[in-house]
Amino acid sequence: MSSSIPSSAALKRERPPSATAEALRQAIRSPRVVIGGAIVLAMVICAVFAPQIAPNDPAEQDLLNMLLPPMWAEGGSIDYPFGTDSLGRCILSQMIFGARVALFVGFVAAIGATLLGTTLALISGYFGGWIDRVISHLVDLWMSLPPVVLSVTLMVGFGTGVGNVILSIVLVDWTRFCRVVRSEVMVVARKDFVSAAKLLGFGNVRIILREILPSVAPLIITLFTLQVGIGIIVEAILSFVGLSVPAGVPAWGQMIAQARNYMYQAPWGIILPIIAMFITVLGFNLLGEGLRVTLDPRLRKRNI
Amino acid sequence: MTDVLSFDNVTVTARMSGRSIDVLRDISFSLGQGDIVGLVGESGAGKSMIGRVISGLLPDNFSVSAGKVSFDGKNLLALGKSERRALLGRRIAFIPQEPLSALNPVRTIGSQFSEHLRHIGIERSRHRALMIERLTQVQLRNAEEALQRFPHELSGGQCQRVLIAMAFAGEPALVVADEPTTALDVMTQAHIVRLIAEQQKQHGTALLFITHDLRLAGHVCRNVGVMYAGDMVEFGPAASVLKAPSHPYTKSLLAAIPELTGPRRVLPALADHMPGLGTFAGLGGCRFSPRCATKDPSCIATRLPPRMVGAGHWVRCAERCEAAGNAQLGDLISLPASVADAPAAVAFDKVRLSYHASRGFLGLRRSRFDAVKSATFSVQEGEILGIVGESGSGKTSIGRLIVGLERPSAGMIRIHGQERTTGAVHLTHRDTQLIFQDPQSALNPRRSVMRLLTQALEVGESYVPESERRPVAEALLRDTGLPPDCLERFSSQLSGGQRQRVNIGRALGAKPKLIVADEIVSGLDVSVQAHILNCLLDLNRKHRLTMVFISHDLAVVRYLCSRILMMHAGEIVEEGPTEAVFSNPQHPYTKALLDAVPPDNADRPWPPVLATDSAMSALR
Amino acid sequence: MFKSLINVAARRLAGAIPTVLLLSMVVFIVLRALPADPLALLLPPNATQADAEAVRKALGLDRSIVIQYLIWLRDALSGDLGNSIAFREPVTRLLANSLPATLELSFVGLGLALLISIPGGLLLYGARGTILENILDVLVVCMLSIPSFLWAIFLLLGFGVMLGWLPFSGRVESGIVIPDGTGFLLIDYLVTMQWGYWQNALSHLILPAMALALGFSPLVIRVLRSSLLESSDDHYVTVARQRGLSERQIILAHMLRNSVLPTITLIGAQFGFLFGGTLLVETIFSYPGIGNLMVQAVRNHDLPVIQGVALVFCVTTLAINTVVDILYVVLNPKLRRA
Repeated sequence: MSSSIPSSAALKRERPPSATAEALRQAIRSPRVVIGGAIVLAMVICAVFAPQIAPNDPAEQDLLNMLLPPMWAEGGSIDYPFGTDSLGRCILSQMIFGARVALFVGFVAAIGATLLGTTLALISGYFGGWIDRVISHLVDLWMSLPPVVLSVTLMVGFGTGVGNVILSIVLVDWTRFCRVVRSEVMVVARKDFVSAAKLLGFGNVRIILREILPSVAPLIITLFTLQVGIGIIVEAILSFVGLSVPAGVPAWGQMIAQARNYMYQAPWGIILPIIAMFITVLGFNLLGEGLRVTLDPRLRKRNI
Repeated sequence: MTDVLSFDNVTVTARMSGRSIDVLRDISFSLGQGDIVGLVGESGAGKSMIGRVISGLLPDNFSVSAGKVSFDGKNLLALGKSERRALLGRRIAFIPQEPLSALNPVRTIGSQFSEHLRHIGIERSRHRALMIERLTQVQLRNAEEALQRFPHELSGGQCQRVLIAMAFAGEPALVVADEPTTALDVMTQAHIVRLIAEQQKQHGTALLFITHDLRLAGHVCRNVGVMYAGDMVEFGPAASVLKAPSHPYTKSLLAAIPELTGPRRVLPALADHMPGLGTFAGLGGCRFSPRCATKDPSCIATRLPPRMVGAGHWVRCAERCEAAGNAQLGDLISLPASVADAPAAVAFDKVRLSYHASRGFLGLRRSRFDAVKSATFSVQEGEILGIVGESGSGKTSIGRLIVGLERPSAGMIRIHGQERTTGAVHLTHRDTQLIFQDPQSALNPRRSVMRLLTQALEVGESYVPESERRPVAEALLRDTGLPPDCLERFSSQLSGGQRQRVNIGRALGAKPKLIVADEIVSGLDVSVQAHILNCLLDLNRKHRLTMVFISHDLAVVRYLCSRILMMHAGEIVEEGPTEAVFSNPQHPYTKALLDAVPPDNADRPWPPVLATDSAMSALR
Repeated sequence: MFKSLINVAARRLAGAIPTVLLLSMVVFIVLRALPADPLALLLPPNATQADAEAVRKALGLDRSIVIQYLIWLRDALSGDLGNSIAFREPVTRLLANSLPATLELSFVGLGLALLISIPGGLLLYGARGTILENILDVLVVCMLSIPSFLWAIFLLLGFGVMLGWLPFSGRVESGIVIPDGTGFLLIDYLVTMQWGYWQNALSHLILPAMALALGFSPLVIRVLRSSLLESSDDHYVTVARQRGLSERQIILAHMLRNSVLPTITLIGAQFGFLFGGTLLVETIFSYPGIGNLMVQAVRNHDLPVIQGVALVFCVTTLAINTVVDILYVVLNPKLRRA
């Protein structure tokens, strides 16, 4: 089909933008990207400036004011805007500091899973043959264990600590990256322009980095963003079971687990960290979704 | 007698980015009972849109803004959705293009045919007998068994037969065939066209035949309408339009189609290409005027009404243009003189290419499929060799073997004297390049044209630093006839023909001595095709480039190549100088293939009575 | 067709055995080789020196890791997965008592998920191009951001505690007899026609199953909707419209059939996700399944149980994946004549 081409004169006036600039401009127009991005930014600020933002020290126990309701409820106090937990610690401060653990674990684990999964996906999808078979079997094997069970098992083996949490998330989630990116790599690798590059004498590494990687980059960015959200959830699950950070460090999952014991008397203690977690993960999901639609030209067409 | 179908000044308007664009303008034609009318045009001309007006399945922002469409006396446009649906399948039937993907892949033929019969009101108890009867009528072998099969288990031709049977099952008054043979092989095309013609005669149905192939329409249809950019520019009896075309576009279209017989002349190729939807707004008058050799200012501003030029033959053009604009005959092409003892650029010796598949229990048994059975041939330096065959003949595999993307399973390949068989695939032989068929897949969408053309300069011996690549890119632009301002564009912003030229330019950038072109003009508009073919001839002459041109289109191959190989089912069945092979074919396959192509002259009878199916299958 | 089915089944089974072995090795190494002092995880707190010696000998803790694994494997193949440190019972018995509960919960959860997602996906597809689509889209993204254990807490607080409509602890009311049978209460009570008990078991299942279902549904809704969108542009759908079939007929008789395949693929691929969710959901609802068992074992540092449960999880997931693979071949005509 002949596409519509403006006359040469018209073209001389405007220089078509590069693919990345165009993509970014489209991205900013999407409400999901904007809202998701705003939430993520807010959480990052919370995490980075936690000591400045939080009203109290999250570890400080005020045994005279245990299980205080939030300030808008009866009996609440302005000193503890969201109330206190069973040990008298300020819930709001715990939430703000909890963002640190959540985001740190989420980001670093996502980077690790991305690097590991993408590298293996590129190798596996491009070279095919026995390399692909071995890696695919490995991935299939790995994915036979339900992710939660595997993380829990790994943490029992590794022992608690933020570093170990990150490691166990990376070791569990890289398989998902590998599988999804590999399918895309295989589609791209079969395209004629890859064969054309080979005919021009391009070496394999150059082809992977220059021809294939840019084509799968949007997918990787999307998966990365979604992975941060997943990492936050996994960390919460692990700290719920007591396998994540040591007891003194504030983490949302731990807050939820402890507050569960007092759920009936003080529901706010459990509801508020849940809301924090939900909003953060929602932010990353919105951002990831928005990016996926704007960066993938096929999906973009549909939205019009 | 009322016409079965008539279009009266129908205009279809689309709302795009806030503007109204007339996608079809003032379309008028009519179809009587038992009549066959052809709608001919290049891709994007609007011929399929007419089909969508009839079915009522226009895209969301398109609507009929003026005119009337009557079917059997009723105003089609005034019908509600469910009334229209009641007509479809029963009184108006469609034969779609791309038959293999036109049926649901997860349901059997029988269940889909049965669903259709139910829709047209035939009671279930009669379905099975009726289906078998109809499928036998369309010469589908083993009709009963076919009912249990799934679409992917049938060939393209067989699927199309099923679709034809379904279309005629309701005894419709009108059948619209939308490019029914475009995706099929030449021989299957002949069968299917004959079948459609037979069914049409038998049922007395009116047939609207939509195609891009003017020659084909000339053989099949009584009247032909030529479409260009949403306008119908000429309409009349097929013989009249083809022998004495009046509109400059029709003339140039006919002139740009390569011929299978007669002297070889350079094809006159029109500049530019048919405008796309986006530019319609700026073309108020005749939309062909930018490319017309005989235009004057009035053409651009005003649209001319239809003017009669013969019995039932009208044209939208001024009288003064009729005499002028007759295509000057191009120069005769002189074939490159092949020096007798020039070294062979390519030498194949009993080359076999096989693929293995695992079958059977636990995948233990391995079966072998030979894409190329035993190929022996050679290509002289400076020559253009054509390889002709249908899909599955092995011609693409030969191309890939030549450039080194495949390794032969047996036999020897020599390129420019060097052996190519041993060890890993040596892809440092940049002096052999391949131009791929599908420019969508062949051009990295993330590279600008500049970076695509100079891709060869990024590595290896011909490495040139980035700052010095521009002159090379500009030279390649000139060589391939691309406009100078497209260096910064991306492939998604180019037309099909321009993409193909970038494809060629990239291959040229490696300064090859041998180029393999694999079906590079199929799917392109006729005038674009003519450009590309002329471009290849120039390159061959200027740079003494050896070329191997792979195609299924006999006329195109004849235009370009001095020698040809005919391939069928992995074997070379005939070889020799082009003219000799075409005028005096020896192998039955070559004969059958030549018979199956619609002849240049519209008077010769076609489709011929072809060999029956059983004789053909003996060849497979 | 049957030949290719047997083919697929045989191939999968042949591949499953080394997979199980490899996984058991991985789990074993993680739990034995990694911790600093595995003995501490294998003994109850009040063990004597003699006890410690006995365990050390029996498990071969002084030998190489390979020998340890082989000892464990030998015991496992004869049905002995060790004894729970906290409960002092054989692990196999604990597993046998709890596995059916989790399976029942998972299947009911999966069923509920399908009940929600199929109409949900159809609705989302049907609303395309309208404002409703945007609203539903955001809803789905919100659902995706809530993991099943959070749903569990919401449901428990909302329907269980505040509204009091449904029970939120255990499998049946305390005092009701759990019959010997398949272990699937819904089946056992049905067979013996004890309707009262059957209802009771069902009502205890609803909240936890809903939690699992709500965590899983958005994934299925997504896949269903995108597959419907894609097939709406397919050539054969356009041709079917040209034949005069109504949109409803086309969706039901054509597009849904084609969307079944990618949906099943997703369910197979993500079943582990649903299944793993039982860990926390069971804990929150005090539901006596293997998920609950594992969480307790983690809290009690009960290594043999942890190992046994991990293994059971993986074998079950493999089995489900094999069933899904076979189903895929049955439903995909292109694969039938392998």
